[in-house]
Amino acid sequence: MILNLLVGLGVALFGFVLQTGLAGFNRKIIGRLQKRHGPKWYQEYLDIFKLLSKKSISHGWIFDFGVIMALGGIIGTAMFMPLTSTFLAFENYDNFFIFVYLLAVGMLGMAMSASGSGNPWASIGVMRALTTMLAYEVPFMIVVLTIIKISGTSSVAGIQLFQQAAGNNWFIIALPLGGIVAVLALMGMLGKKPFETYIAPAEIASGPMVEYGGKQLGMLFILHEISVFIEVSLFVHLFLGGATNIFIFIVKYAAVYTFVNLISNVNGRFKIDQVVKFFYKWPLLMAVTQAVVAIYFGWVI
Amino acid sequence: MASIEYLILFLVGAALLAYLLSKFNKTAASIFTIFATMFVFASLAGYGFGMNLVETVNVLPGFTFAQTYLGFYFVIIIVFVYLMVSFFHPYYIDTYKYKDSYNFLFLLSLAGIIGAFYTNNFLQLFFFFELIIWTTMFLIPLGKSREAAVTYFGFSVAGSMSMLLGIFMIFQQSGTFDISAGLAGISGTNAIFVFALFLIASFSKLGAFPLHIWLPIAHGNAPHPFSPVLSGALVKLGAFIGVLALVRIAPATGLFTTINLPIGQYIVAVLGAMSIVFGTLMAIKEDDAKKLLAYSSMSHGGYILVAFSLLDSIALAGGFYHILAHALASAGAFMAIAAVARATGTTKMKELGGMIHKMPITYLAYLVAIISMAGIPPMGGFISKWLIFQAVIDKGLIFIAVAVFFGSIGSFLYVFRPLAALFLGQELTEYKKVKEAPILMLIPTFIIMGLNVYTGVFPAGILKFINNIISELGFVPITITTFEITGYNGILNPAVISLVFGVGILVAFIIFILLKKSKKVTLMDTYTAANFVHDEHLLHYTTDFYAPLERLYEKQSNWMTKFYKALAQKVKDIGKLGKYLFMSRSIGTTVLWIIGIIILLLWGEVL
Repeated sequence: MILNLLVGLGVALFGFVLQTGLAGFNRKIIGRLQKRHGPKWYQEYLDIFKLLSKKSISHGWIFDFGVIMALGGIIGTAMFMPLTSTFLAFENYDNFFIFVYLLAVGMLGMAMSASGSGNPWASIGVMRALTTMLAYEVPFMIVVLTIIKISGTSSVAGIQLFQQAAGNNWFIIALPLGGIVAVLALMGMLGKKPFETYIAPAEIASGPMVEYGGKQLGMLFILHEISVFIEVSLFVHLFLGGATNIFIFIVKYAAVYTFVNLISNVNGRFKIDQVVKFFYKWPLLMAVTQAVVAIYFGWVI
Repeated sequence: MASIEYLILFLVGAALLAYLLSKFNKTAASIFTIFATMFVFASLAGYGFGMNLVETVNVLPGFTFAQTYLGFYFVIIIVFVYLMVSFFHPYYIDTYKYKDSYNFLFLLSLAGIIGAFYTNNFLQLFFFFELIIWTTMFLIPLGKSREAAVTYFGFSVAGSMSMLLGIFMIFQQSGTFDISAGLAGISGTNAIFVFALFLIASFSKLGAFPLHIWLPIAHGNAPHPFSPVLSGALVKLGAFIGVLALVRIAPATGLFTTINLPIGQYIVAVLGAMSIVFGTLMAIKEDDAKKLLAYSSMSHGGYILVAFSLLDSIALAGGFYHILAHALASAGAFMAIAAVARATGTTKMKELGGMIHKMPITYLAYLVAIISMAGIPPMGGFISKWLIFQAVIDKGLIFIAVAVFFGSIGSFLYVFRPLAALFLGQELTEYKKVKEAPILMLIPTFIIMGLNVYTGVFPAGILKFINNIISELGFVPITITTFEITGYNGILNPAVISLVFGVGILVAFIIFILLKKSKKVTLMDTYTAANFVHDEHLLHYTTDFYAPLERLYEKQSNWMTKFYKALAQKVKDIGKLGKYLFMSRSIGTTVLWIIGIIILLLWGEVL
């Protein structure tokens, strides 16, 4: 069990390093897209370590406790994540629902800490973040329900193996409507435009993070990178056939993240009620249609 | 050895004694209530698990008792909630209008509970049900709202009357009032009628859609320590009747072949799903913390109904586990709110703020309770929701799944609201002198906190007991080992999840502690765009927390209330008509009626 825990921590660390580096590259790509040079590719690491070494303020014990609970929850979630279809820390326990709900512990911790700062902007940011979550999560989970029903397992590694087996397509091809929904939901999860209402730079004074600085902000940056790692990896594993080795995983991962980032940068931003309306209109309809077609009629490509 | 009959008699006696004691010293009576409840709980816990209670009846005429795993599971949870709540009594007894009767009614309703779950006779079941309804009906207005009591009573009586009708129909066909024989002895159209009638009783007790209106009114206005009993314990009576109808009667209606579920059960699952969605939406909108939790009970009642209507071992296990998890979570949350209400005198979220700085333990109790309520590991709610999801996915119930997932994510939203508005945020000036709850109130708080975690980390022991119930109901027990639960599409190991979560927290804590210490600043020292804000209230974001979301369904949100208001008006109108016709003060009308009736009677004689 000790070994498993160490492997798990290794996965979380790997995810952090991978995602932070990739985020730096993406800043460069976006820079080029906007005819700028963009920062150095390791700028994100510099930002985080700079923040961790700086002086900071605290608004009381819940402010700190929430940050610890948030980062702890996210690290815990990342420890369950399989990197390839065979490499994972806790075999058989990589249940899809663990990712959804353990991720929520992290979110709850962060929300608690932000509300505990006593700043109304932070509370508004939390409100928007939770509302966005209510919007994207339901269509996404319906698509995943379809996947679990078809593949007969809710283990993320098991779903990868199912797609890799001969005669089965990747689920993004097998369930095209569901695939579209998943891409949209992924953008919501990552807080990419048009669903970035809860951060909303220059609108609500940077949302839940308004009161943070120094080590707390640094830890929340780490949290952000790891949670992006979890969400994008889930998409790769569930919809893009997972990976048979680590290089394929990195390639697929980088492709998905960059793709989502590119879409994000040519979009405007929804208002928060528009986000909810949007997700409960087309994506939910598509997800349910896909589920009915795939489960009741058995039409899977 | 403990005898069921003597336990009931003991409670009735204790109730009378508590009443007399109250006349002299109210605190003494309340403490006596704690010990009486504790005695009953200890006897049940000591002998009940092995079905070792004495069933013979010596004193009560005509009563018969029998032990079932199903009944015991309910009884032990409910008595536990009663016991936990009784610790609160000494601190609240002075706030009631009729102080003497509180402990009396409390113990008497507990006697009703034990009778209702241990009886093997339908008429006794009805009798004990009525005992519970009548005693609790008088407990609710002690919180100073008559309307709440009337609403509660109206819905409960509608439920128990429909149950009585069902019982008579069973008697008509099977010729017995015995529960097992009666349930086995009905078939055909009769079974469908009884199924529907029992479900009305179940829905009205559980507060499921469309019979949910009483729930927020009663929960919101009941005395503070009684709300946890209502939500954590009494609504579970509805779940019990629901099991009788959905699993044991289970009439042969047509079968949906694609999802392998009888139509009757599917309809109930759809109504359960609607309860989940309505409860969630209304809870998000609610401003009163207790009413918010009441709507959340409605939504969780929906989960229980969905689980029981799937006719499947895993779903049944999930449903039963959910009953326990929700009882613990909602008792914990309601008790935390009760402690805050005692300190501040209000449960309105927009009037409260920053209680965490004065009541940190109460805050932790609430936090643990809502983590369980939202179904997040490592608490009990996660296990039950996981089991229910397994069954819903395995059956391929897409439309039910939409509601189930919606309720599950929506619960993050509504449980967070009291957390943010009531405990977190700015520390309001008017509550600067508030103190943490006294030690006697913290004891149950800690116990419930511990159990919420225990049910989420080591569910195997409880699930093994639930397996007994599942076999008793004629289903195949689910597969569990010491640490693992096997579902349809995966294995869950709650202990590993908790361990990994703990390791994560540890790592985060080490990172935190190694870095430079932060400077403490006050809550008012926040970013305000360089404006000088001098008043805490201005920096406290609580009113209409989810305003943008609420706006989307604002117009649709009160049509059920309107419908019941209109219905109540119609009933009143009919009553008025009756009064006008029969209870007139004018002698002429009365004479007219007398003559009319005499003629009618004579006419009958002639015929």
